Amino acid sequence: MWGVALRSILGSLPVLLIVSLITFGLMRLIPGDPAAAIAGMSATADQLALIRKDLGLDEPFVVQLVKWYGGLLQGNLGRSILMGQDVLQVTLIRLPVTIALAMYALVLTLLLGMVSGIVAALRQNTLVDQLAMVFSMIGISVPNFFLGLLMILLFAVHLGWLPTGGYIPLWQDPIGWLRTSTMPALSLALLQMGLLARITRSTMLEVLRQDYIRTARAKGLPRRVVVVKHALTNALIPITTVVGIIISLSISGAVVTESLFSIPGMGQLLTQAVLNRDYPMVQGGLLLTTTFLVLVNILVDIAYAILDPRVRYERS
Amino acid sequence: MARTGWGPLGFAAAMAFIGALGSTSALAQTYKCPKVGGDFVFGQEANVNSLDQMTSTTISTRNVAMNIFEALMARDESNNPITDLAESYTESPDGLIYTFKLRQGVKFHNGKAMTSADVVASWDRYKRVAAERQILDNVEKWEAPDASTFVVTMKKRQPTFVEFISSFSQPIVIIPAELKDDAPQQLRTIGTGPFQLVEFLPGSHVRLKRYDGYTPNTKFTERTGFGGYKQACFNTVTFRIVTEPGARVAGLRTGELHGVEDIPFTSVADLKKDNRITILPLENWWVHIASANASQVPTDNAKFRQAVMALLDNEEIMEASTDGNYKLNVGFQYPHQASYTDAGKEFYNQKSPAKAKALLAESGYKGEPVFLLTNKDYPSMYNASLVMSQQMQSIGIKAELKVVDWPTAVQMAAAPSPSPGWNFFFTGYGTQPALGALATMNFFMGTNPNYKPKPGQEDTVLAAEWENMNLKVDPKERQAAFVAMQKRIFEQAYVFPFGSLTKVQGVRANVVGYKPFRIPRFSNVSFQ
Amino acid sequence: MNGPELVAVRPAADDAPLEEEFEVAAKRQAPWRMTVRRLFRHRLFLMGLCLCSIILLAGVFAQLITTADPVRLAMRWRFRAPGVDGFVFGTDNFGRSLWARVVFGAQLSLYIGFSVVLLNAVFGTLIGAAAGYFRKLDNALMRVNDAMMAFPAILLAIAITAVLGASTFNAILALSIVYIPRTARIVRASVIVLREMEYVQAAVAAGAGHWRILRRHILPNAMAPLIVQLSFLFAYAVLSEATLSFLGLGAVPPTPTWGNIMAEGRQYLVEAPWIITIPGIALMITVMGLNLLGDGLRDVLDPRLRIQQ
Repeated sequence: MWGVALRSILGSLPVLLIVSLITFGLMRLIPGDPAAAIAGMSATADQLALIRKDLGLDEPFVVQLVKWYGGLLQGNLGRSILMGQDVLQVTLIRLPVTIALAMYALVLTLLLGMVSGIVAALRQNTLVDQLAMVFSMIGISVPNFFLGLLMILLFAVHLGWLPTGGYIPLWQDPIGWLRTSTMPALSLALLQMGLLARITRSTMLEVLRQDYIRTARAKGLPRRVVVVKHALTNALIPITTVVGIIISLSISGAVVTESLFSIPGMGQLLTQAVLNRDYPMVQGGLLLTTTFLVLVNILVDIAYAILDPRVRYERS
Repeated sequence: MARTGWGPLGFAAAMAFIGALGSTSALAQTYKCPKVGGDFVFGQEANVNSLDQMTSTTISTRNVAMNIFEALMARDESNNPITDLAESYTESPDGLIYTFKLRQGVKFHNGKAMTSADVVASWDRYKRVAAERQILDNVEKWEAPDASTFVVTMKKRQPTFVEFISSFSQPIVIIPAELKDDAPQQLRTIGTGPFQLVEFLPGSHVRLKRYDGYTPNTKFTERTGFGGYKQACFNTVTFRIVTEPGARVAGLRTGELHGVEDIPFTSVADLKKDNRITILPLENWWVHIASANASQVPTDNAKFRQAVMALLDNEEIMEASTDGNYKLNVGFQYPHQASYTDAGKEFYNQKSPAKAKALLAESGYKGEPVFLLTNKDYPSMYNASLVMSQQMQSIGIKAELKVVDWPTAVQMAAAPSPSPGWNFFFTGYGTQPALGALATMNFFMGTNPNYKPKPGQEDTVLAAEWENMNLKVDPKERQAAFVAMQKRIFEQAYVFPFGSLTKVQGVRANVVGYKPFRIPRFSNVSFQ
Repeated sequence: MNGPELVAVRPAADDAPLEEEFEVAAKRQAPWRMTVRRLFRHRLFLMGLCLCSIILLAGVFAQLITTADPVRLAMRWRFRAPGVDGFVFGTDNFGRSLWARVVFGAQLSLYIGFSVVLLNAVFGTLIGAAAGYFRKLDNALMRVNDAMMAFPAILLAIAITAVLGASTFNAILALSIVYIPRTARIVRASVIVLREMEYVQAAVAAGAGHWRILRRHILPNAMAPLIVQLSFLFAYAVLSEATLSFLGLGAVPPTPTWGNIMAEGRQYLVEAPWIITIPGIALMITVMGLNLLGDGLRDVLDPRLRIQQ
């Protein structure tokens, strides 16, 4: 198990290096620079030139690159041009917001997606099965920005049940957080729910057809016991791997969802940073986010190794 | 006698002068909050990146920071310079020395009393980091002979100096001297204003609370413009970032938000029916504009530009661009401003395809593509470009939209002449027209004027009038110079002002004292 | 993590459909006639085919089924609700018929989706085959691949379109760059398995060249998972293009794409909800159709995971 972890961590280092290089290159290739964002709507060309000089944006590409990696080696990710704050500090404030939202979406996904997948598998080819599959099909076919807008229209504008946006930190007011996060979490979760329901269903069906399940049933074990003890445990293995993907999906989906609902998370931060050409923020923020995702995947690998006897055997 | 040196606004300047020396009428009651307390939530459309009022010129920063910081001088409700942190000021007869007396008893949010040392430090930082620091280029030095006096010595006489230092575009806000070395965009948020910062979470909200140690300016009895007698009535004011227009409207409806900016026009009719909501139009938010690029074919040809000018139907453009929320407006100032002129009106909104075709033929246009540089970050600019391109196509001009994002558009448009890849740049003149004619005409001057003349071919008529606008001591002559400039710009079709855009704000009906201004002001506003 | 099973299910920072992860790498190829017959017995596949055909026909015959100009402004007719004044789907803020815009939008959405699929088929196969077949290239190619996949997909697409500028072609390019690594990974997984197959080893022993082995023995057998992947990719490309356009980074307006229409309608969410709802539903139908097609293809082409309907 530790072997798996160590290997994954070592294997991810070159990936992170390439990620940071690509980010750096891409950001410098984008036309436009942060001066426009700082100067606002109507600045004269002379003012823009002045701001550009102040920011050191007229330095050559290689100098900027060396400076950035030099800082990185000392644990310094630089400062956001736009916000003037330390990139690490900003990320440490924003990333938990996105993670909290992703976790909420994950809980919704696991609850609703897995349950409907299991029910559909157990009641294969019945109306329940077909309904569940139709809903999961709709789930994976709706763009989340569309869903978000429709939910604002329905729950906020017409029914007035939930606030239209605004964000209340979880640790400040958990109830308020639930109220402000439910629509965004739902709009993130629907896609994943659809995916998970479909995967759970097909894995369960496959497991249920396996010989050992038939044997267990033949031995006269009650159906419930068979399902929970044998089928579900085995079906969990591929589902574990899905959890990692779902977390990545939430972070990626957050790019749109957070802007739509004004949630001050990583997705909104990075999108704004790209659009405003806040180079250090994009470089540092993306590197940290990717690192986080890589860590999640390593954890998933480890969980996988624990759950799946075949992998365990192979490793030891 | 001291001069105020105020630009084209001759009469208004006199009023300002009286204001500066203390116009407190014995009869007027000093403002008192009808009710103290309550937590106000404002729905703001754009994200706030930094509260450094000295380096950021974005409106979103000003929205918040102008409630926190104050400067020596400000503008009143009619845009005339007034003293704010200064008690008074005098100008020496030769116009070279300005002496400011500071208001007594002013304390920073950290409890420290403000002295002239803080003013010196603030001006020092401004000179070092501000994007508009060139307004101090003509200043020889500033010094503090005693704790309550601040003296500015000019290199040359500059009759427009007070106009610049009272500007709210990037005001020289006064900060405690110990913050003088704060890096750009990183100013610690300590000011002297009626509100102080509680928490700032970029992307989500900024929360301010009433500063109980605030000393109002007793020269006045009421808030006026960004100055006057200011009192914070609310316990807290929260600026919540709500970028989705529909969400702002819904928030105002449900009462989650007590005030919002930029309500889509299509929602206005509905909201007006709701007696729990007061709709407040903020007129003349910006002059909607396309500026031509005189360094590229075919817009380098004056006849071609004039053809487009003859063609434009500004009503159609403004209608689409603002959903009907506009006023036709000739030129670069608004009718309520003393500096307003309709010079050049014969060129505005001509709607004459016949004349346009004739001019187009004269110009020898050979079907070259004409690129309209626009963006989708500001839908009104995009909409304007769409309509204008269609109008141009109708007389056979090969107009093509070039849609990029705002920072790219700005960079392309600001590239020094010859500035490639575009012929018309869609933008808005917002803050500058509000500041006055001088600030606006600044767009056409400098090393990189925005009509992009080919190098060495800058318009000499404009340059000569600009000199007059800056250096003539008589405000009337300065105004005459502005009139000549505006006329010349229309005649040469350097830029195409379509009209003025109205922004609609709204508050809950139980909010009293809220008056739309360029930047929302939360002093002297309270709940019923 | 060398076995094919593990490669196939290894989780990745991935936005592509999950189904691809469950592909089995190697399998026998069914005669195409049988495959088609099976597909046409697959109920969900047929449903998907119907939905896709409707959108495809609308797109192909856009010029015939609407006489209205999707781009021309007609300010007199702004904000007509669906059914009012003869506008089936209503009009938008410029008075343009939404029917015309949505129909022409179908054309563009399908064109973009198809182009992305095509580029993926070509470059995904090339990269995947090279990595899977030539061990020396594998490590380098897959590291870059992993890095590309580690980015949040939409953010990468945003950055690429910001570099290239917004246009239909650049949106295709950006989405291809985002998705090719995912396709390459699937192809690579199949190729690795196939390379070790006895008949391939036999061909190597017989002295066949690399190109011949790849072309004759490996790639044809790696097609099934690729086709399944591409059908889901189509759905994803259509969705992502809409998201990009919605963020103002897709095809240049006033070109009607569904994302563009929705982005413009966003301002009028409360007063004219039809402007975003109608293209939203069209988008949903398309993506659903494509997903159903993908399901059907997978069930039929991939016997191991086939689930009796």
